[in-house]
Amino acid sequence: MNNKLEKLSALYDGEVSDNEFNEALDDLKLNSHSKDIFKQFALISEVMQRKSLENKSKLSNIFSITSKINPIFTNVLTAAATVLITTFTLYQIDDDRFAVSKESTLQLSSALSSDEAKNQLINSDQNIVEHMIHIMQSNQPHDSDMVLDDWIPVGFQPVKNKPHQFTNGQNNLYLHIENKQLGIKKVKYYKANQNWIYLIPLKDGRLLTAYGDVPPEIAKRMIYSINNRK
Amino acid sequence: MGKVNGDKMLVNEIKAGNQIAFETMVIKYQPKLLSSLISYTKSIEQAEDLCQKTFIRVWQKINTFRGESALFTWIYRIAINLAKNEFSSSYAKASKKTDSLDDMDYEMPSFTSPEADLIGSQLADKIHSYIQNLDIDIKTAFTLREIDGRSYEEIARIMECPIGTVRSRIFRARQLIVEFINKENI
Repeated sequence: MNNKLEKLSALYDGEVSDNEFNEALDDLKLNSHSKDIFKQFALISEVMQRKSLENKSKLSNIFSITSKINPIFTNVLTAAATVLITTFTLYQIDDDRFAVSKESTLQLSSALSSDEAKNQLINSDQNIVEHMIHIMQSNQPHDSDMVLDDWIPVGFQPVKNKPHQFTNGQNNLYLHIENKQLGIKKVKYYKANQNWIYLIPLKDGRLLTAYGDVPPEIAKRMIYSINNRK
Repeated sequence: MGKVNGDKMLVNEIKAGNQIAFETMVIKYQPKLLSSLISYTKSIEQAEDLCQKTFIRVWQKINTFRGESALFTWIYRIAINLAKNEFSSSYAKASKKTDSLDDMDYEMPSFTSPEADLIGSQLADKIHSYIQNLDIDIKTAFTLREIDGRSYEEIARIMECPIGTVRSRIFRARQLIVEFINKENI
């Protein structure tokens, strides 16, 4: 029975030989149970793909919303900041995008490996995307000594036992430092649902990535401080 | 084993007048088309109507399909053209002019309301959640197939395993999901 159904599954995917094709069609013709199973394969496929489309529509929403508030950003942030809209939310599985589980990480990698997903990288640089994935996948805390005091927005304090995390009691900010700048010359930032991601090139050639539910109104002080640091 | 042919064999059989091949194609693409048309028309009733008319048109026009695009792309194009025609005049009036089921000696397979509901309901989330808990190899193979549209051969290369294993894993995923759907009465 399983062999027959496996053949139907392969038929559904168009991955059968001539003989198997004919056998599977005969099975569908004669066996209503097989037909029902085949229908369910089709429904499951639709459910899977619709879920993927829902994620794509999230991207569209982000694009739409961010485009509308883009002029405000220009006023709020320094002239050095530019807006880059990416597909990060496309791969968001959970509400908290920074708590990427191993499973969703795999989906992340899987999704990014598809041509379709790549085509949706709007104005974004693959290196940057991969950098962000690397950060999200990384569970390694960062040495708090590497974080300078003037990087931390006013009112934020380190979270105990989490040297890379800072909070003002309401918002959380995570910092990540890389010894590469990925060609980023100006501050770039992204919005992903309620979270923001800031890529801040440091003058010493490193890249500071700050992320969390910290809006530009708060982050701009940090960016300003870093940009004007001698 | 594992010969990649997509829908080519199915199309050839439909062109040869094989009704079970046609029915197989309808079963395969009806949920996807219906879902797309519901989004397009914002009406389940209109979408179902258009869906049926689309497949009738597909049956009539299959000999004009040259395989230059994916089969579903071609089907979807027909559906959208039909929808545009419907919307350009009174829907009720137009429906009288379009194809009737009498045009073909064939009973259209249909998805029942609960299944149609499934397409547009939150129950899909349940299924999706269930998929997240599948064995990692099974889920990866299945996701690469369903979301990324990878061929078995490509998946085998990515997962560094034989094509037969890929085929088994994808089937196993579907089998488990079907069991879950039936168990949960979704």
